[in-house]
Amino acid sequence: MIVVENLTKSYGSKKAVDSLSFSVAPGRVTGFLGPNGSGKSTTMRCMLGLDRPDTGHVLFDGKAYTEFERPLTHVGSLLDAGDAHKGRTARNHLRWIALTHGISVQRVDQVLQMVGMTEAANTRVGKFSLGMRQRLGLAAALLGDPQVVILDEPANGLDPEGIRWTREVMRHLADEGRSVLVSSHQLVELSLVADDLVVIGQGSLISSGPISQFMTQHAKTWVRVVSPSIDALAELVRLAGGTIEKTPEGVDFHGISAATIGEIAAKNNLVLHELSPQIGSLEQAFLDATDASVEYRGESATSTWAAPQQ
Amino acid sequence: MGGSAAMIGVLRSELFKLRTTRATKVIVVCSVVLPAIIFTLTSMLAFGNGEVGDSLVSMVGNFAPLTGLLLGVVGVLCSTQEYSQGTIRITLVATPNRLTVLIAKLLTTVVVSTVSSVLMLLLCLLPSQLILSSRNIDFVTIDTDVRILFSAVILSVFLSILGLSLGLVFKSSPGAISALLLWPTILEGMVFGLLSVAFDRNMMKFAPVQGNGFRLIAQYTDESNSWAVSLAVFSAFVAVFAVLGAVFFSRRDA
Repeated sequence: MIVVENLTKSYGSKKAVDSLSFSVAPGRVTGFLGPNGSGKSTTMRCMLGLDRPDTGHVLFDGKAYTEFERPLTHVGSLLDAGDAHKGRTARNHLRWIALTHGISVQRVDQVLQMVGMTEAANTRVGKFSLGMRQRLGLAAALLGDPQVVILDEPANGLDPEGIRWTREVMRHLADEGRSVLVSSHQLVELSLVADDLVVIGQGSLISSGPISQFMTQHAKTWVRVVSPSIDALAELVRLAGGTIEKTPEGVDFHGISAATIGEIAAKNNLVLHELSPQIGSLEQAFLDATDASVEYRGESATSTWAAPQQ
Repeated sequence: MGGSAAMIGVLRSELFKLRTTRATKVIVVCSVVLPAIIFTLTSMLAFGNGEVGDSLVSMVGNFAPLTGLLLGVVGVLCSTQEYSQGTIRITLVATPNRLTVLIAKLLTTVVVSTVSSVLMLLLCLLPSQLILSSRNIDFVTIDTDVRILFSAVILSVFLSILGLSLGLVFKSSPGAISALLLWPTILEGMVFGLLSVAFDRNMMKFAPVQGNGFRLIAQYTDESNSWAVSLAVFSAFVAVFAVLGAVFFSRRDA
């Protein structure tokens, strides 16, 4: 169980994290979302004692990270896949970490096998792709067999097979009763594995709770209807307060429930070929929820990007 | 896992880190082998007139600054490589107590520099003595030989601690190595030379490295500080940077 309470961290006059509080439950995968510069990485560094928060604290099963005698056996973390000496082999990279905790060489080989890197154990890290470094970082996080796992963008640079594998690892860890906190920009992937979400923007909490609750609060919902009498039905729905949007797949009704549309159709003897409630994607819900707190925004891709003519 | 067990674990980890990077291995080997090769070649090719005019030990002592500065670079790399390669985050996540990490790095640097400098002295002296003896060339011994040998080790250890400290202050290898090499070899001479001109007296004996650190292995002259004063000045100079490095390391976000 991770409890973050009233965490605040400033760099000069800029508040990177502002009075942030949330918790991560055991046995669940908690997605940690926020736009670039929202304070996710700073929060994770404060959790692990790398940065000192101005106020607030983070507790792992009631203890601060710095209070653990053998922290890697309680909390495993992957902050940046690049955090490895390029001249060391994968095995030696894990061995120096293992030595700090008296962890055996057998365990080093075991985690290398777990992440599928036995063949590359004696290859220098500098020769690894980003995906291989991610796997090595994950091996380091699992070295102490911790109850809490913190991962910052673990799927970054992985191929589709690697992304699916990472998802399965996170699910497996949570199913074993561990608390898994994972930040990611790959929202589709996260929607497939996360049980809970913590969403932050400009250092402050936007939402925290089960993913279903977040979707209910922030995702768009509508009803898709296919009917031979669509024009008549549309008129009746409009009178009932709904709005209509025509799409290639059919007609989408907004602001009215599927049950109400069904009752209207039944009362008026209108035939329906499809009546299906729709919910927007996690990506859309996330973008809507964090729209006000996006710090760095690119120009619309529909804008003209051609260089001005001389 | 108690405090001492944790300390031993971190110490073993730091030694392992040094052993598994090519740059540190190459520099440590150079710091030992280069002086030994040069001195052995000198013994083989020079001293043809049947007598060595100076003490062998004092001649070997002249290589101590070279070995010391190279081991200082190892000290720099012991700290800066962690920052340049990003492993400092993993180091501090594995050992959140920064004092433990700092002490382990300091002890590692001291152990490596002590062993390397002793090895350098042995590799310089033993083959040379054998070569000269086989050619019936006499070599003199002087009563300060033991002190010179001791000073050569102290100089190397202090320079490696200076390197480690500069690394912790600068966090980057180019800055720390430049400071470590340029200050004693060029800048210190210029600064204290200017001061000597300005005050119309020899100020070099106040220069912490050239005027005191390097003087530890030289013969005493009227112009220089005594061995004990030189040691005190040089250790105070190194201690200032060691404290600065420790403060920066303890207080900075990783």
